[in-house]
Amino acid sequence: MLLTRKGDAGRRSPSGSASHLSNSLADSLSRALPTMDRRAFLKRSGIGVGAGIAAAQLGLIRRAKAADGNQPAASKIQVRRTVCTHCSVGCAIDAVVENGVWVRQEPVFDSPLNLGAHCAKGAAVREHGHGDYRLKYPMKLVNGKYQRISWDTALTEISAKLLDIKKTSGPDSVFWVGSSKHNNEQAALLRKFVSFFGSNNCDHQARICHSTTVAGVANTWGYGAMTNSYNDIQNAKAAMFIGSNAAEAHPVSMLHILHAKETGCKMIVVDPRYTRTAAKSDHYIRIRSGADIPFLYGMLYHIFKNGWEDQKYINDRVYGMDKVREEVMTWTPDKVEEACGVPEAEVYKAAETLAKNRPSTVIWCMGQTQHSIGNAIVRASCILQLALGNVGKSGGGTNIFRGHDNVQGATDVGPNPDSLPGYYGLATGAWKHWCAVWGVDYEWVKKQFASQEMMEKSGTTVSRWVDAVLEKPELIDQDNNVKAMLFWGHAPNSQTRGLDMKKAFDKLDLLVVIDPYPSATAAMAAMQVDGQQLNPNRVVYLLPAATQFETSGSVTASNRSLQWREKVIEPLFESRTDQMIMYQLAQKLGFGKELVAKIKLVPGKGGMMEPEPESMLEEINRGTFTIGYSGQSPQRLKAHMRNMHLFDVKTLRCAGGKDKVSGYDMTGDYFGLPWPCYGTPELKHPGSANLYDTSVHVMDGGGNFRANFGVEKDGVNLLAEDGSHSKGADITTGYPEFDHVLMKKLGWWDELTDAEKKAAEGKNWKTDLSGGIIRVVMKNHGCHPFGNAKARAVVWNFPDPVPLHREPLYGTRPDLVAKYPTHDDKKTFWRMPTLYKSLQQKNVEAKLYEKFPIILTSGRLVEFEGGGEETRSNPWLAELQQENFVEINPKAAADRGIRDGEYCIVSTPTGARIKVKALVTPRVGVDTAFIPFHFSGWWQGRDLKEYYPEGAAPIVRGEAVNTATTYGYDSVTMMQETKTTICNIERIVA
Amino acid sequence: MARMKFICDAERCIECNACVTACKNEHEVPWGVNRRRVVTINDGVVGQEKSISVACMHCSDAPCMAVCPVDCFYRTDEGVVLHDKDICIGCGYCSYACPFGAPQFPSNGTFGLRGKMDKCTFCAGGPEPDGSPVEFEKYGRNRLAEGKLPLCAEMCSTKALLGGDGDVISEIFRNRVVRRGKGSEVWGWGTAYGKAPHPDAQAPTEQKS
Amino acid sequence: ADVALAQYDDAAKSAAVNPAPPTAQPAPATTQDSQPAQASQPLQSIESIDILKQNQAERTRDQPGNLAPTYRIIKQGGKNYSSLPALEAGVLIQPKAQFPGQPHATTAGEAWRNYRNGPLTHIGGWLLIAAALGVIAMYLIVGPLRMKQGPVGRLIERFTSFERTVHWTTAISFVVLAVSGLTMLFGKYVMMPLFGHGLFGWLAYACKNLHNFVGPIFAVAIVVTFITFVKDNFPQAADLKWLLKLGGLFNKTHVSAGRFNAGEKLWFWGGLTLLGLIVSGSGLVLDLLVPGLDYTRGNLQIASVIHIVGTVLLITAAFGHIYMGTIGVEGAFDAMATGLVDDEWAREHHDLWYQDIESGKVPRVRTAEGAANANDATGPARA
Ligand SMILES: Nc1nc2c(c(=O)[nH]1)N[C@H]1C(S)=C(S)[C@@H](COP(=O)(O)OP(=O)(O)OC[C@H]3O[C@@H](n4cnc5c(=O)[nH]c(N)nc54)[C@H](O)[C@@H]3O)O[C@H]1N2
Ligand SMILES: Nc1nc2c(c(=O)[nH]1)N[C@H]1C(S)=C(S)[C@@H](COP(=O)(O)OP(=O)(O)OC[C@H]3O[C@@H](n4cnc5c(=O)[nH]c(N)nc54)[C@H](O)[C@@H]3O)O[C@H]1N2
Ligand code: HEM
Ligand code: HEM
Ligand code: SF4
Ligand code: SF4
Ligand code: SF4
Ligand code: SF4
Ligand code: SF4
Ligand SMILES: [Mo]
Repeated sequence: MLLTRKGDAGRRSPSGSASHLSNSLADSLSRALPTMDRRAFLKRSGIGVGAGIAAAQLGLIRRAKAADGNQPAASKIQVRRTVCTHCSVGCAIDAVVENGVWVRQEPVFDSPLNLGAHCAKGAAVREHGHGDYRLKYPMKLVNGKYQRISWDTALTEISAKLLDIKKTSGPDSVFWVGSSKHNNEQAALLRKFVSFFGSNNCDHQARICHSTTVAGVANTWGYGAMTNSYNDIQNAKAAMFIGSNAAEAHPVSMLHILHAKETGCKMIVVDPRYTRTAAKSDHYIRIRSGADIPFLYGMLYHIFKNGWEDQKYINDRVYGMDKVREEVMTWTPDKVEEACGVPEAEVYKAAETLAKNRPSTVIWCMGQTQHSIGNAIVRASCILQLALGNVGKSGGGTNIFRGHDNVQGATDVGPNPDSLPGYYGLATGAWKHWCAVWGVDYEWVKKQFASQEMMEKSGTTVSRWVDAVLEKPELIDQDNNVKAMLFWGHAPNSQTRGLDMKKAFDKLDLLVVIDPYPSATAAMAAMQVDGQQLNPNRVVYLLPAATQFETSGSVTASNRSLQWREKVIEPLFESRTDQMIMYQLAQKLGFGKELVAKIKLVPGKGGMMEPEPESMLEEINRGTFTIGYSGQSPQRLKAHMRNMHLFDVKTLRCAGGKDKVSGYDMTGDYFGLPWPCYGTPELKHPGSANLYDTSVHVMDGGGNFRANFGVEKDGVNLLAEDGSHSKGADITTGYPEFDHVLMKKLGWWDELTDAEKKAAEGKNWKTDLSGGIIRVVMKNHGCHPFGNAKARAVVWNFPDPVPLHREPLYGTRPDLVAKYPTHDDKKTFWRMPTLYKSLQQKNVEAKLYEKFPIILTSGRLVEFEGGGEETRSNPWLAELQQENFVEINPKAAADRGIRDGEYCIVSTPTGARIKVKALVTPRVGVDTAFIPFHFSGWWQGRDLKEYYPEGAAPIVRGEAVNTATTYGYDSVTMMQETKTTICNIERIVA
Repeated sequence: MARMKFICDAERCIECNACVTACKNEHEVPWGVNRRRVVTINDGVVGQEKSISVACMHCSDAPCMAVCPVDCFYRTDEGVVLHDKDICIGCGYCSYACPFGAPQFPSNGTFGLRGKMDKCTFCAGGPEPDGSPVEFEKYGRNRLAEGKLPLCAEMCSTKALLGGDGDVISEIFRNRVVRRGKGSEVWGWGTAYGKAPHPDAQAPTEQKS
Repeated sequence: ADVALAQYDDAAKSAAVNPAPPTAQPAPATTQDSQPAQASQPLQSIESIDILKQNQAERTRDQPGNLAPTYRIIKQGGKNYSSLPALEAGVLIQPKAQFPGQPHATTAGEAWRNYRNGPLTHIGGWLLIAAALGVIAMYLIVGPLRMKQGPVGRLIERFTSFERTVHWTTAISFVVLAVSGLTMLFGKYVMMPLFGHGLFGWLAYACKNLHNFVGPIFAVAIVVTFITFVKDNFPQAADLKWLLKLGGLFNKTHVSAGRFNAGEKLWFWGGLTLLGLIVSGSGLVLDLLVPGLDYTRGNLQIASVIHIVGTVLLITAAFGHIYMGTIGVEGAFDAMATGLVDDEWAREHHDLWYQDIESGKVPRVRTAEGAANANDATGPARA
């Protein structure tokens, strides 16, 4: 009865098909086992095999009809290599485009980062080429409804309004929220744009993501980034995930991690929830949310007590460990257990595992950063790794998993309120450096600002824009409140205190959302809340931005590798690329020429001119010496993208090979030239796969800790001790960073060319635009331009130099608040008054812990990203998570009569009452509840669909947890406290 | 001749659903039809949680095939169980019979109106000529004909899902198991029937042409 | 038998393959981390560890990578977690089931498949063939029951037009359902070889859709039929005698009967009412029309089995009824076709009913239309 029925027309010779299959099979599967020499396997036959077939069937695959109009006569199939836009793993994608339509998506097995693997989001990105639920044209809110307007009207009206606000209230009354989804070029251009508008009031997702990491880690040893890479975890013998749910948030990292595990790496997960990552661990430790420091100190206690610390390493390369040790030794096991809920044996076991299986790595993410003491928690993690001597070692390090696809890059070169691209700060010198790079006059830029003081004062943050709008003007540290908000690739439901945010939305004069999916902001702005006053003069505009698949540019993955995205398709509908919008808006605002003074313009959508991404990257290259964004020229990056197969999966290094197209020799390069890639591209620095690794020559990507904090502190040497220099360095002691003076003193000055001397005179390695100092120091002398110093276990410029545990402002444990109270209130902090102790005390006195006895934490689902508007508009993803929910422990649910799958109400002290489904599960303990934060479009039980611009409501809507989250900000960076607050969960009684 | 099989390695699967969306993407599978899905056993139970991705297992002794009232299933040389949507009457019997819940229907079934059955094709299309537009419209891509393997497996985030020549993938899986410890189990087509997770233990399927 | 369990129950497996208990393996110092002090411990604990009762966490501790406890759960077929809201999305393998007569439980899908493709098709098929042969035999051996005397020409309105409409709605929908249903059940064996795949596929598709829409009509129709005819179908004393003499069918003796004889009553209660309800009920479930029911595969399998058993029996019985209503009893078909019967027919077949008519207990005609028809028909004959 079984037949092999197949039309003869379509029948291939069986043997032919078998060999194809086995080739392809062997190839793809060999990659599943990274230990095997997969390069030796037969090359995958590639897309070409199917091209004929693909060509035959294209007629009907063309779903995105939008592009039909401009089709060339003959069908043309192209494969464009791009990178997933949904997280920092940086998975490469081959997009198959036919006649301008994205018809197919193929895995890139050659990528050393993901070996063809994806998570749900990456495997579904082609939907961006459909864009069914995107904003299709500019819109304006008129009488509570969004109406279509033309681009020109929109830009004219917006710029007029901006100039008006600038004139009447000052440039600081406009707040620009940029995006970690912008590529490096767009992010850098936006920072320049805001500067030319005359303000530092700009920010992006990094604030509410890893700002505490960046500040804490950079202040510990130099750079605030992931020290190693996802791939390098393969070399770890033990790995501790503390506050990272990689299986959902960085799923493809698990490819490397599980491989490590299978080759013997011990995996520990410390999390309040038994996550999908925890399910893969050898040892799971349930911790009380917000209590990471007690746990980490608990581990250090055992490490010090058993002498497991690396004494020589600490002596040579760490400053202040003795002070930390004093604090640590007060954390006796009973105190640790009291504070974080983990019994001594478990803490001991974790400490022993990390200590006895070195190199061991510590991996963290939002579980550590999103706290009012986030800066201290991340430093405690750094200290743990320093004590074990794990930093600067392959298989060790602090593997800080970054967030968005380009949050690393946007942090490095994008719209930060406290720095110019490359963390150059806001001091006069930094401004002058960048003005020179941008090719504009410093004085002209200064004139754009309210004053030089404002020019050099950090702006406020995206976490506090609500207060910048609502706070009494006399209490804020700028002339006027914020009156205009521009959301340029950022969702609203990602910031806390939704109820207050709605008030701020209603008070604004101008709201502009520039986004392919601006709808969450749009709906929140348009919705009416009973009894709430609405500014009658408010205007709201929505501008359709193109996605990253509709432009080209570079993107920095978590491991600091840069990848170049080719443009896949033309901007859909009426959308325009962000760089085009920036340029056009700048023209209307009167600084169009200056914005692109040194940037080439090329025709973009509809023949309109836009800045060329390559040229923008070259500008970044020219200026960003601090963190080594200077070597990654577009040519080098493109060569890497074309030749991914040449890079080793474990080391990321190219053993040898030339790019056929450009002739560029990649030998020795690390994939994507992970920053720092020092000097000019001509220096051919290979990038740095693992930071601070002294066992490797600096020209092979080696290094040491940065000398950024002086040479001594209170008489104690801050520079590295003798002998702890990077391999082959001419200077074998510690040394400060290089500038013209030191160069001359050492007699190295004459190794500069005359042209270099001219540029370097009076400069240091960061501001020498010729890159000459770097060249000589690195190439000729094997030294590190940023010096060679110790890492700081004590960060004296932070509120808690030795990281201290402090309880969150909203907690369920008054007994612990008494012991570990929070900071004192701050009067002006990032321009805003900021509450700590007064609020914490008030909460204890009001006995909130009785009314809200459950710790509420929030985080990610693998299917959705960020505010979720993009991913919830993608049917392939939306179908997999159709409703928001709260994870509640079976006992807590039973106590409240709540059953699995029922709707319930989660209430918090803000007065918010959000309606979500109950997911009754032992994933969380009895005292904890978890709600994913990707939902929006419901407002305390009400569906806001009617407020969305027509056709642009995402498929799945739900209650945003941030409607209900509470006040609380990190004492260094203004990170919002999203991981620990309190709630009650109630059954809905009909 | 290669005998196509799937293995899902529960020690690796992280319920990331890439396999699910890859399939949707590649074949433009409509909302409500899930050729593949991921199931988690002992969700949230410490030390006991395991996830498994499941689709059609292309059974050697396929119950769907046996029960179909119009006999619209067939098996390819590579052991892939396919069906003919032109003949399918949408009765749903294959879904009653299939142990894995693989057959899917585009409509809710009221008055028996389910529409034509759809299921995982092992990315091997259907009876129409390989790579033809009609084939794509009805069954999605024919990757096997292009010399490629199922996209779900190719894109699996952790390479938990192995799809391809049964001999090759069981070898790969065996290697992993050896590295991990003893006596691992495998989520494969044998699970429901109690046959060895080793495809060559199977008698080759009848072939008629 | 339960190969499956044996296969996945590694306890059984390793016990068979490997005489040494699995946990005893660490004893030799082959593994680096086995500490000598603990080497004897596993041996001790063997007695106490019931390997079948270990959960996955315990098993992983003892045998890393061994997932037998997980597979045990999977094979139980319960609902596990899946983020998809689809019914049964969380079921990896259907639970076990065992239909009456099956030797042991197997995966429900298999149990159902074997039951349907096995006994139900085989026994059902033979039963239907037997019923058909029975009817033919009846015809050949006994032949049609003819009236003993000629018609008297006086007519009784036996079935009003409403009653006839109701009956024929039931009857026609039944025939449609039977034919279309049987096409689904047996067509693959009988028709497909004749028509070929394409044509049969098309036909089956038509049949299936016809069946699915006509089913509910039938379901409603039998209810109305029941109400319409129930009052004359209550058992009477005479019915027992009728039954004992088998309606006099074989020995051609006279047996008393009311408006409906016991045979008809049997058909009414057993066929129309009992089997009709069973078939309709299960049919409505299969049509996914019963609100508030979980349409799991398991429920549908059960409904399917009930439906097939019910329909086969109903069709078998219907062979009898249809035979009697057409060629089996002279004049019967006319009764249902025109509604009118001759006095003589009534006297011969339903004497008790006829007595009631004669005594005026039951009216001779019940509707104006009936009266007119009766007159039309009798008028000329009289004249
Ligand atoms: N699918 C998906 N992937 C993403 C994103 C996305 O939106 N969706 N976003 C990207 C972005 S922007 C980021 S920043 C990353 C975030 O990636 P992650 O930080 O890994 O993800 P989260 O779910 O926010 O939080 C991680 C874990 O922290 C735990 N946690 C909560 N409180 C505490 C605590 O006090 N201590 C400890 N130790 N753990 C705690 C939570 O239970 C949670 O499991 O993911 C990136 N990847
Ligand atoms: N309660 C709670 N809140 C949280 C968190 C949490 O764990 N719990 N996590 C926090 C973290 S770590 C982060 S990073 C944030 C993330 O939150 P957001 O960053 O606010 O969320 P996204 O949806 O990623 O926002 C990106 C926006 O950019 C748009 N976009 C995409 N591509 C482009 C482009 O090319 N150009 C332009 N102009 N726009 C584009 C998208 O459509 C989307 O609207 O949420 C934070 N909020
Ligand atoms: C006299 C009455 C009926 C007969 C003889 C009959 C017969 C059958 C038969 C033989 C099958 C095929 C079973 C198989 O192939 O496994 C079937 C299936 C089915 N029957 Fe009936 N049936 C009758 C009444 C009904 C009624 C009243 C309904 C609904 C109200 C119904 C709904 C169905 C459904 C839904 C199926 C499944 C077929 C499909 O969806 O493709 N049937 N029937
Ligand atoms: C084509 C098929 C059928 C034919 C030719 C047929 C024929 C007849 C005839 C001639 C009568 C009148 C008998 C008399 O006067 O005593 C009758 C009565 C009846 N028939 Fe049918 N019939 C058919 C199908 C059905 C079906 C499918 C049902 C129900 C499931 C049914 C239910 C009845 C009932 C309830 C009566 C009245 C007798 C009683 O209530 O006992 N018939 N049929
Ligand atoms: S979201 Fe992250 S892990 Fe998933 S495919 Fe994209 S880059 Fe890779
Ligand atoms: S898994 Fe189900 S659909 Fe696939 S061959 Fe087996 S029985 Fe048929
Ligand atoms: S639904 Fe289609 S494929 Fe499945 S058994 Fe019915 S006719 Fe066959
Ligand atoms: S093999 Fe192809 S059709 Fe089957 S589940 Fe995987 S992607 Fe879908
Ligand atoms: S893609 Fe792989 S890891 Fe992810 S759910 Fe599917 S099988 Fe599991
Ligand atoms: Mo983030």
